[in-house]
Amino acid sequence: MVAETKTTAEAEKTRRAVRKRIKTGDTHLAGYIFISPWLIGFLLLTLWPIAQSFYLSFTDYSLLEDPVWVGTENYVNIFTNDSTFTKSLGVTFLFVLFSVPLKLFFSLLVAMALNQKLKGMNLYRTAIYFPSLIGGSIAVAALWRNMFGLDGYINQVLAWFGIQGVGWISNPDTSLGTLILLNTWQFGSTMVIFLAGLKQIPQELYESAAVDGAAKIRRFISITLPMLSPVMFFNLILGVIGSFQTFTSAFIITKGGPVNSTYVYALYLYEKAFKHYQMGYASALAWILLAIVALLTIVNFAASRYWVFYESEGGGTK
Amino acid sequence: MNNMRRMSLVSLLLALLFAITACSGGGNGSGSGSGKTLSIMWWGTDERHEATKKALDLYTQQHPDVKFKPEYMAWDAYWQKLPTLAASKTITDVLQMDAAYLQEYVSRGQLEDLSDIDLTGIVDPGVIENLKIGGKLYGIPLSQNAQGIAFNKEDLAKYGIPLPHKDWTYDEYFQWAKDARAKLPEGKYPIGDTTSWDGFNYYQTSMGKPPIMADGGKTFTLDKDLFMKFYQTYEQFRKDKIVPPADQAASFLENDPQADPMASGVVMTRGATTGSVSALEQLMPGKVGVVNMPTGPSGGGWAQSTIFLSVSANSKNKEEAKNFVKWFVTDKEAGKTLGLTRGIPINPEIYKELEPNLEAKDKLGKEIYDQSVDKALPFYSPAPGFTEWVDAYKKEMDAVTFGQQSLEQAFDKIDKLGKELAAKAGN
Repeated sequence: MVAETKTTAEAEKTRRAVRKRIKTGDTHLAGYIFISPWLIGFLLLTLWPIAQSFYLSFTDYSLLEDPVWVGTENYVNIFTNDSTFTKSLGVTFLFVLFSVPLKLFFSLLVAMALNQKLKGMNLYRTAIYFPSLIGGSIAVAALWRNMFGLDGYINQVLAWFGIQGVGWISNPDTSLGTLILLNTWQFGSTMVIFLAGLKQIPQELYESAAVDGAAKIRRFISITLPMLSPVMFFNLILGVIGSFQTFTSAFIITKGGPVNSTYVYALYLYEKAFKHYQMGYASALAWILLAIVALLTIVNFAASRYWVFYESEGGGTK
Repeated sequence: MNNMRRMSLVSLLLALLFAITACSGGGNGSGSGSGKTLSIMWWGTDERHEATKKALDLYTQQHPDVKFKPEYMAWDAYWQKLPTLAASKTITDVLQMDAAYLQEYVSRGQLEDLSDIDLTGIVDPGVIENLKIGGKLYGIPLSQNAQGIAFNKEDLAKYGIPLPHKDWTYDEYFQWAKDARAKLPEGKYPIGDTTSWDGFNYYQTSMGKPPIMADGGKTFTLDKDLFMKFYQTYEQFRKDKIVPPADQAASFLENDPQADPMASGVVMTRGATTGSVSALEQLMPGKVGVVNMPTGPSGGGWAQSTIFLSVSANSKNKEEAKNFVKWFVTDKEAGKTLGLTRGIPINPEIYKELEPNLEAKDKLGKEIYDQSVDKALPFYSPAPGFTEWVDAYKKEMDAVTFGQQSLEQAFDKIDKLGKELAAKAGN
């Protein structure tokens, strides 16, 4: 009885304190102030432009004159009367289809190699990660152009073995492949996330599996892969989103050519906006890209139920 | 009370944050103190960059209150950068303009009217009148320029191939290429392939037909018979190895020591202008000869002013900018510093002073002009709103050279888009 009264009194006290704080308005204020640099940046530099681009996608806007409302005309044109749209979407899908799995595979491979217990491993990790710091930059794209040119290093090396190389980036059959290769080579951040994931896997699992006589491959399939699946999922989502937006390499190395073979969606969008000054049309293209990426992400999330394993859910036979 | 203070603190913080996050951009040549800073941008070769920077220093010496913020780059980079600047209304105060783009930028209201700059005695009044768009002058012409063809005279002599002669016709040009093929070793080609619209426009106009785009884009003429004849010739040339294979052609980069089609020793000829041939001559000194464009019954090529200085319509220093562009074509010292880095100076008096001391590379430029001038047709630029079509033309024709579609298919697509745009421009 006494204890109960005490609890009520305490509760009453807390309630009063909360009410007071609400009155003075400082329940969350401090929090908002702390995040305000980010919040303001987000509202002004991200949310507002996004809203504007949505509006502009229903207009004809050349930047220099005021936008003219055209309703859904841009969208209708894109879907019914724009072969470049179809072409660039096809190129982008091809790019995503190959570059995402390749990159996942390659970065997992590197992460596993770097997860070995070796002397001076930190040095190797730094050395292997280092190129990725500059991987997406213009300088590397320019370097790539020289390496894969008709008289580039790659062909010079091939010539030592008597192989007549092609113009890797000037031939429509090989140009997209070259860009996919470049994208795969930029494995750094994906690899680091894999590496962190690998370190999280409890060593006991491997030990007991080894006691039970599981071979290396068995251990990889039955322990590493399931335990790593959330990380894999994360990398997959980021990889798909990133690959759909690929731009720099196509812009710098091939300019979309030859014959549109590397004319990726983001490049088409850019040229519509900043070369042909069709901001409304370009905005509509951007929203379609957003819808596609969102849809694929939803599909990925739905599919993840069947292959991603979360330890916190108890595992079992899920 | 406490509340009030807190609120004002919050608003102060917010105000500060706004100040920090808000764009710090601009910086478009704003004046500081009594002096002004003019931003200026041009494209060109290193030689032109160095000469122009010296000329800017000279202007600052003569006018200590004006300083410059120069930006300079190669042609491709320049035309990639300028649209983004135009979009954000931050084009430099003074900018170099080309005849191929002048109409486009004027139609978008990006350039200042310069009609009130007095150029009497500096530029021929007829030239000025020709350059006016809607009765207004938007660019001060800097030089006389002309389109011609450069050839590797050393290699041609070595393989016993006769040098091209002035006023050669298209038929002679094609025949020359066929004959040269027979004498050249494998891996070398007499002429380059052509996939951009201007290559065919030269042909169509020289045959007495109208230019592809006329009346500011309202009239579109793509002559199918000529189109098929012209490109079927090249189709055969690709089979006969008279032009380099498509993937090799796609990797050429003009004025690059290794990748230039001519300087690399792969192709015997390539297009060159009065203003640009000196860069090629420097890559292969003593080996370059020049001839005018192939001609037809109506003539061929062009010879006129194509490089201008313009002032941005959004400039805050228009008066200073106008004074400077006038000085650029008037001042004798500046003329000496700039030499022939933009072609033959438009101001006859400046050219007269330079003439006795011309170097070999400059003489080539003059020779292109002299050979071209009597047969020259007007310079045809893409009509406003046709950049899309210009890009599409090249892509469709590239697809033909890579064997991905037929000539007929390419023609239909190019013709359809052109007619659509012309109809749009008519409205």
